[in-house]
Formats: sequence, C-alpha cells, structure tokens
Amino acid sequence: MKNFSSLNGVNDKILKIKQLLFELEKDAKQFPALDRNSKRALASIKMLELNISDIVEFDLADS
Amino acid sequence: MNQPEYWNPALETMPLEKLKLLQFKKFKRILNWAYTHSKFHKALYDTEGMTPDDIRSFDDIKKIPKVEKSMMREIQSKDPFPYGDALCVPLEEVSTYRQTSGTTGQPVYQPDTWQDWEWWSECWSFVLWAQGYRPKDRVFIPFGYNIFVAFWAGHYAAEKLGCEVVPGGVLDTQSRILKIKELNATAMMATPTYVLRMADVAKNKMGIDPSELSINKITCAGEPGAGIPSTKKRMEDAWGAKVYDHSGATEIGAWSYECRDQPCGMHVNEAMFLVEIEDINTGEITEEPGRKGKMIITALDRMAQPCIRFDSKDVIEWDSDLCSCGRTFRLIKGGVLGRADDITKVKGVLLSPAAIEEVVRSIDGLGDEFEIIVDKQGDVDRIKLKVELLPEVTRVSIENRLKDQLRLKTNLGYMIEFYDYGSLPRYEVKAKRFKDLRKK
Repeated sequence: MKNFSSLNGVNDKILKIKQLLFELEKDAKQFPALDRNSKRALASIKMLELNISDIVEFDLADS
Repeated sequence: MNQPEYWNPALETMPLEKLKLLQFKKFKRILNWAYTHSKFHKALYDTEGMTPDDIRSFDDIKKIPKVEKSMMREIQSKDPFPYGDALCVPLEEVSTYRQTSGTTGQPVYQPDTWQDWEWWSECWSFVLWAQGYRPKDRVFIPFGYNIFVAFWAGHYAAEKLGCEVVPGGVLDTQSRILKIKELNATAMMATPTYVLRMADVAKNKMGIDPSELSINKITCAGEPGAGIPSTKKRMEDAWGAKVYDHSGATEIGAWSYECRDQPCGMHVNEAMFLVEIEDINTGEITEEPGRKGKMIITALDRMAQPCIRFDSKDVIEWDSDLCSCGRTFRLIKGGVLGRADDITKVKGVLLSPAAIEEVVRSIDGLGDEFEIIVDKQGDVDRIKLKVELLPEVTRVSIENRLKDQLRLKTNLGYMIEFYDYGSLPRYEVKAKRFKDLRKK
C-alpha cells in the first residue's frame, strides 16, 4: 500500500465525521432538511469506510 | 499533476492473501447481517443447520447454501410487498426500485437503500477509473433511463469521478449521434449490440463516419461482446476508440471490469465481491486457472437485499496471470464466456453461442447481425446460422471460409442461410440471437 502509511490517521478522521453526522441526525427528527441530508451524508461516509476503514479495522494495513 | 492510476490503490494493489482475509471478514459480516435481518436468509441457513458462527475459515464459505434466481418468485410472494422476506431493512428505507428483465423467468424486484445506491456507483467508479475516465471527459449515455439498472450507476459514477454526463435518454439513434457530434463527447456506455448499431446508422443512414467523432473510449456491458476479440475489433475499428468490457447484474452489482491494459479479460473487484467458480459437472469449487465453471458470487457490502452465494449462471474461468496494470484483483480470462443456460450440447458437443459470434464477426464481408437456431430434424440436432452479406459481397467468397472456421472453432457443422444486408432484426439494447427450439 504505497503512499498510504497513515491509513490509521485517515480512518480516525472518517470516524470523527461519522460521529458528528450521527449526532446531527439524532437531534434532527423535527428538522427534515437536517435529518435527511445527514442520513444521505452518512451513506457517503459508508463508502469511505468501505474504502479505508475496513482495511484498518480488519488489521490489513501495512505496518 | 498526473492523475493516479488506481481508484483505490490500497485495495487494488493489496496482496492476494490480504484480499482473501478481507473477503472472509466481509463475508462473515454480510452473512451475519442477512441472518439477523431477513426471515428468508435465517430460514435458509437454519434448514441447513448453519449459523454465521459456523463459518470459521475461508473454506467454510462453500458450506453456505446457494441462492438461485428461481427462488426469488417464492420470496417475493411474501411480505413486505413487493420485495418479500429477503428484505433486510424497513420498507421506508428503500429509496430505489429496479427489476431484472425477466429473460429467464419472472422479473426479480431489486430494492436498494440510498447507501446501496452509493455502493453501486462506488463499484462503477472502480470500473470507469480503471478504463481511463477522468474529470475532463464528457460522457454520453445512450440508454433509455427506466426500471432496468443498465447504465444508471455508470451515470452516477461518472458524475462522482468529476466527468460531465450527458444523459441520452429518450433520443432516437440518429439524434444521439448528432448530440455526440454537437457536444464533442469523449466517452460512451452501451451494449455491444447498440455500439455496432449506432455505428451502422451513423455510417449508412447519416453519412457520418463514427471514427471521426470525438469518442475515444466506450464501456460495454449487458452482453459478452466486448470480451469477444472479433466483436471488440469491429467496435474499435468503427468508432476509432478503445472498447472496454464490464460485467454486472441487477441482483449482484458491478463486479468486474477490463482495465486500460486490455488484458483479454476482466478484473474481478475482489474488495467488493467474492467470486467462486463451481465446476458445472462436479459441483466442486475450483480456484484452478483455466477451469471453466459457473460463477457463484457474493456482494460483500450490499445491504437491503443481500446477494450471498448467488448462482449467477455466468460461465467464467480464472486467468493464471496477473495483469500488467499492477492490480492484484484477479482476471477472468476472456471475460464472461457465456451463460450456463445457453451453453448446450448439440450432437453431443458443447456449443457456446459466443464461439459462433467470434467466428461471424471475424469474417470481413459479413454484417454485424446473425441468428442461431438449434432444432431437431427427426431425432438429429440441427444448427441453423443466419448471416447477412454486406453490399457487393458474394456468398461464394465467404461460404467456405465461414464453414471451415465454424468447424474449426466449434467442432460442429451448420446449415448456413445468407440474407441481404439489413434483413435480420436489429436490437437497441440486448440482442436475442440464440434460439434453442428443442427445449419446447
């Protein structure tokens, strides 16, 4: 995994964004624009998880 | 600045042993998800006395029962309407409906959540990036945007890559060609049948040479043509463009792609899918290169209606070599070689319609269209092959060469019928060129 020695760092950032979006979504049930856009953004974050986080969390990144 | 070669360098160049570990862990995750969220999957595995905990090694995966398309009829007769009990999410989370064409039976309804739809375009992003699509491209998509998945996800993936997308939806063929010309589109996605059809219309009805248009790459899907060398050559010659193969399916996803190195095969996206090859005769799962079999496939991240060990009926074989592009995703040699449903015994010999296509399209003087009809004359199988002669080409100059090549490539004799150019049916999406009348 050339040039990707810091996948752990990238993953930390992904998890932070995810956490923030969860918080936005949780507090937004009476605010559809916030609720639905947070949900949609979480679907995009999931693609970052498939691309990066799985590698880190399954312990497959180069040490 | 140079654009990177890979969409995801970490996954696409991951050593094979790590990829296998990734697949194993993702397989367990999707299996557990399906087991705990779908009545159908739970019942299927309970009947076999299996739970996700029983999958302890990669080899255990083959113990999980396969799912066949024919099972979907019963599944989809149950609640919730219209998807049935393979659905793993509340109905209100389904954001997109698609369905299969129903060519092999009742159409299968396919629910996707927004996350699944993101996943679809993510898988297509691997395809398009590997084929050289970049933000500077203007991509023309000449298909009827409708209930079939076709190039929908290709559209969204091209947008994600930063390309400019021109949706060529309800335009007729001539209008599409004029729009490509007007906008200087650089790339296109279509079935091989339609790529050839568009070239034919441009040349013979509009006096436009498609190779002088600005299209420099074409992604083909829906049929095996871009993996058949003579058909690929016809398309590339007609358009003066690189033609790349891709394979996907409504119930599966976009699982394979040819890269810019054109390795005479397609990469399996082994980060997103687990492909197993099952020997048609023995049922054994084989990893051996060069051994043809049916593809059993798992979409490792598809959530609403999971695709776990789905018997696709596609016939494929692993290539023994890795690709020169540097991807570690393995290649299937020659792409999808055919459908197990279509590969049939004629006079005791296995016949693949793709082998006939390879011969017909390799002979100059024959048109792009052809039709194969297998029937019986008394108790004896007979293959009728209908072909078109291009204008000013004589039957005498072609017939012996065609017969010899067919005999050489398929070990069978044919009753050949020659037709004037333009007589056989034309198709705009997937063609139906093979009919086996013995099955009635």
